[in-house]
Amino acid sequence: MQDERAKQELLEKAHQLIESIENGDDAGTDELLTSMTVYREKGLFEEVGHLTRQLHDSLSSFALDDQLSDLTDKEIPDAKERLNYVIEMTNEAANTTLNAIDEVLPVTAEMKKKSDELSAKWQKFMSRELSLAEFKKMSAEITEFLDMSCKNTAFVHKKANEIVLAQSFQDLTGQIITKVIALVQNVEESLVDLVRIAGSQESAGTEKKQEKGKLEGPAVPGVVVEGAVNSQDEVDDLLSSLGF
Amino acid sequence: MDKNMKILVVDDFSTMRRIVKNLLRELGFTNLDEADDGLTAWPKLKAGHYDFLVTDWNMPGMTGIDLLKEVRANPATAKMPVLLVTAESKREQIIEAAQAGVNGYIIKPFTAATLKEKIDKIFARSAG
Repeated sequence: MQDERAKQELLEKAHQLIESIENGDDAGTDELLTSMTVYREKGLFEEVGHLTRQLHDSLSSFALDDQLSDLTDKEIPDAKERLNYVIEMTNEAANTTLNAIDEVLPVTAEMKKKSDELSAKWQKFMSRELSLAEFKKMSAEITEFLDMSCKNTAFVHKKANEIVLAQSFQDLTGQIITKVIALVQNVEESLVDLVRIAGSQESAGTEKKQEKGKLEGPAVPGVVVEGAVNSQDEVDDLLSSLGF
Repeated sequence: MDKNMKILVVDDFSTMRRIVKNLLRELGFTNLDEADDGLTAWPKLKAGHYDFLVTDWNMPGMTGIDLLKEVRANPATAKMPVLLVTAESKREQIIEAAQAGVNGYIIKPFTAATLKEKIDKIFARSAG
């Protein structure tokens, strides 16, 4: 309706404009042209104002979105701690493994050397080339070797187990990295939301995702998880307080 | 403790399954089987005569806590000892596991000594 009336007014002004130009009324022509331009600009300004208000509102509601502030305040610094911990754990696992091997290799080399020596003597004994004195010496050496062999194999066994246990980093770092990937996805979605809001002036939903039953994963130094225990001892204490 | 008892090791990370199996073998257990989450573990538990379940908590498909609840809800498996070996360290989760009827709770990373201690405790209790 308003559009129709505005159109009529404009048409009337156009007729007047033609009339005043034909009549050579310069002042009237000017006045009519100015009033027509103002009419046009007024609509444009109104529209720009409207868009500005919508964009402002959308951005404000986006900034207040809990999820976004949570991302910047907590999740991203946590992700840095988590990734640093991954470096630390992989470094520790590599060192544990290499240290164990460093300790094992000289032991096996020594065993190999002794075995070779005794083997040569044993061959001589079998082909009756060993004197009684040499035989007595070899017997003593064999006794010593067997004793050392028991100790060394137990040592190698222990080190092998240390190497096995050191591989648990793979599970734990895997869990941590999976969490960081989820965070990156979350950031990506938030950025897409931001672009969408800026583009279409739709207000963002401020619903916070349900977090019940969310699993925290491995404990990371520097990342505080409310209500988490710090050691196996605390787990044991808690369970025993529950009658375990 | 019967070293021939049938044990099911459940974890979604194959390296952790290998580690746990290795440690159990070290402790003298030889009858070991594995599954990669609750969904694959449960049919095995229902079908086979397992004596002991060692499971992770956070796994896709079916979690360890849901598997534990399933085990306790089924008369055939209700009395089976269950040990949770998990990275989850929140008190409310430990309490939830206790309420669901877990027999032991170990947080990762753990040592061979801790595993031995918990298993000894579980079977000392169930024998006594």
